[in-house]
Amino acid sequence: MENLHNIYLEEAEDLFSKIEESLLLLEKAPDDSSLIAEVFRSMHTLKGSSSMYGSNKVADFVHNLETIYDRVRGREIDLSQPIIDATFRSLDHLKKIVQSPDIPDPIDAKYHEKLTAEILGLLDESEGTDKIITRAKGTKKKTFLISFTPDKDIFINGTNPILLVDELAELGASQVFSYMEKGLSSKTFDPKKCYTSWDILLVADDDVNPIKDVFIFVEETSKIAVDKVFDGNLLSLPEFTSQLPPVDLKGKRLTLKNIQNFISKIPKEVLERQEEENQIMEVEVTEEVVTEETQKTHGSEESITSIRVSSDKLDELMNQVSELVTTQAGLSMYSENNFDPVLNAIADNVEKLSRQLRDIAFEMTLIQISNLFRRFNRVTRDISNQLGKAVKFVTEGGDTELDKKIIDSLADPLMHLIRNSLDHGIESREERVKKGKPEKGTIKLSSYYSGAKVYIQIEDDGRGIDAAKIREKAITNRLISKDDKLSEKEIFDLIFVPGFSLAKSVTDISGRGVGMDVVKKNILDIRGDISVESKIGEGTKITLGLPLTLSVIDGLLVKVQETSFIVPLVDIKKCFEIKRDELSNDFNELIKLEDDKIPYLDLRKEFLIKNEDVPEKASIILLENENNRIAVCVDSIVGEYQAVLKPVGKYYRNQEFVSGATILGDGSIALVLDAYKIIARKIVKQKKSA
Amino acid sequence: MKKNILIVDDSESIRELVGNSLENAGYFVLKGINGKDGVEVLRSFDDNVSLIITDLFMPEMDGIDLIREVRKDSIYKFVPILMLTTESQAEKKLEGKKAGATGWMVKPFEEGKLLRIVKKVIG
Repeated sequence: MENLHNIYLEEAEDLFSKIEESLLLLEKAPDDSSLIAEVFRSMHTLKGSSSMYGSNKVADFVHNLETIYDRVRGREIDLSQPIIDATFRSLDHLKKIVQSPDIPDPIDAKYHEKLTAEILGLLDESEGTDKIITRAKGTKKKTFLISFTPDKDIFINGTNPILLVDELAELGASQVFSYMEKGLSSKTFDPKKCYTSWDILLVADDDVNPIKDVFIFVEETSKIAVDKVFDGNLLSLPEFTSQLPPVDLKGKRLTLKNIQNFISKIPKEVLERQEEENQIMEVEVTEEVVTEETQKTHGSEESITSIRVSSDKLDELMNQVSELVTTQAGLSMYSENNFDPVLNAIADNVEKLSRQLRDIAFEMTLIQISNLFRRFNRVTRDISNQLGKAVKFVTEGGDTELDKKIIDSLADPLMHLIRNSLDHGIESREERVKKGKPEKGTIKLSSYYSGAKVYIQIEDDGRGIDAAKIREKAITNRLISKDDKLSEKEIFDLIFVPGFSLAKSVTDISGRGVGMDVVKKNILDIRGDISVESKIGEGTKITLGLPLTLSVIDGLLVKVQETSFIVPLVDIKKCFEIKRDELSNDFNELIKLEDDKIPYLDLRKEFLIKNEDVPEKASIILLENENNRIAVCVDSIVGEYQAVLKPVGKYYRNQEFVSGATILGDGSIALVLDAYKIIARKIVKQKKSA
Repeated sequence: MKKNILIVDDSESIRELVGNSLENAGYFVLKGINGKDGVEVLRSFDDNVSLIITDLFMPEMDGIDLIREVRKDSIYKFVPILMLTTESQAEKKLEGKKAGATGWMVKPFEEGKLLRIVKKVIG
């Protein structure tokens, strides 16, 4: 049940974001009938499942909303801004209360009442002709005689007449008489036909409709008669029941006359007493007749061919596949060292298969970024309303797929960046008009693949970042000195330094001092990078470069003495072979490569590996990250290697080179170098020594 | 052998809820996420489906069209079809009945009622 409830919550979440998405589009095109139908259908589904999962408060609440959209759909009312706003607020409220449908929090409960009243108010305004008040005909029990002779072919559409009789019996006390057709012989008997008929005495509320409803499926073909025979409960009178004939399949059918005859034989005082007992207050009932849907929604959606799998299972699968890949690496290594052609062929095959398996398993853990984008759509709308700015929010490349973990950890940084754009980037309407810009600002959130990375860009056409101001502030904050010569890019990078905030006043939206440095840290944590481009008066573009996945990386296996390291392939620009002597005499730790002087890092030195049997030749791996380059010196390059990344544990949390470790095929451990950290550290060092 | 019941509903939570109840009661449950999908599932099981339970309001193909589509095929002439409705939509019921439905259930319903009705229809 717990599990089912989770499915319900997930589904509700999906429906909320579907409705939000449609609503946002509807704000731009309020007449789009397919969107309105979409909203209505989502609400309908939500209501149905909420009622089944026992949260009537939610179901009733959604019901009222649904009614509004039903009327919008039927063109009885227009989709006005108040309705849309109320719907957004209702969605926010619903998100809260689906978690605890009894609304235990008194503040929530009060809000619930307030919103309900508001929605009912909107409904009243739009009051159509479909709200009628009916006076129930009281709840006095009456006795009915129902004679039911089904069509002989009733079985043909799957109807079981017994079911109908049972359903009648559910309406109240009853006495059932069944009969078989006369003159049946084994020769004339057709098992596909129905030869039975029924008479039922039923004590029920004074309303023939529920009774007739039972027969709604068979009334055209079968003979059905429903007659009220008495204003009271005949079956409770022994004086009456004693006169009833015994149940006999071959007996005579009951008629109205029979019954009236029986009643006439009951002493009068008994009948009167019975009527008195049945006096029950009449009640007034307000009933809302829901209009039937007149429109059929034609399917424009593509058919869904996906299934839902819990992310735990996927993680487990990924884990297993990782182990398999590791084991396979061992096999490949062993086979390479043992020249057995059969083994080699098998090892090759296993390698190919496990790589394919890894790719498929990996693809399964990817999810589209559009869900995340959709969330910002909503946030942008709310914040721009709050700030009184007009903003158009555009997304592109929502179908880009990324590891779920990455998407999850992107939510906060992206939120911050978008808030920044809204708060500081986009100017007020007046300011924009004065500058000759369109009144409505634009924020574009886009995502695309390039190489082995995914890039996400947040672009606005706002006022841009003033490099001179950043410089000024950095000087007053003593982050740089007056004489420092920094490129524009380096200046922009200063905004990522902890404690640096450009906002003049602290607003609700952004500028609380914790900011871009946290964003940068979040992005670095998922092995991504962040860069800023900006032109004063034209806008700002922030680009995030992200790996596709966090668990497997393609790397280059290198060796220093007997120690193995993995260098991520994405960061490698080129490899060179040099003589070791070329390094040893250089105190600046700079190496000349391709007519350029590049800082280098000797792993032998950094990891304090003993200087025994140092080979004459060394390999240089040139790393490049965000236009910064650094060379790493190792003994030898073994080859490409797919590394399954494992964390290095808390003792190594503060080290400066390594992003993780991996287990090699032979069981030994190789550290995975973090190019970004190495470059950042080396460049800081260079600046200090310069 | 277990009897197969096909449940067609666009709401996953309803499919699971109904499905679980039926599975616990010893039926084998097939699921369809809309009318079109439901028909496909049904056809892939030939005539081995004992009962179809369908929602009415679904994307792609709604419940009424599903019933029509199913009844068109002579091997499904006798398969009982129950409709699930959210409120007692009288007109919809009639439409469904004309299309060939056997009966209906109004959401919300309790597990007990569901099983009673299913038992009545297919034993």
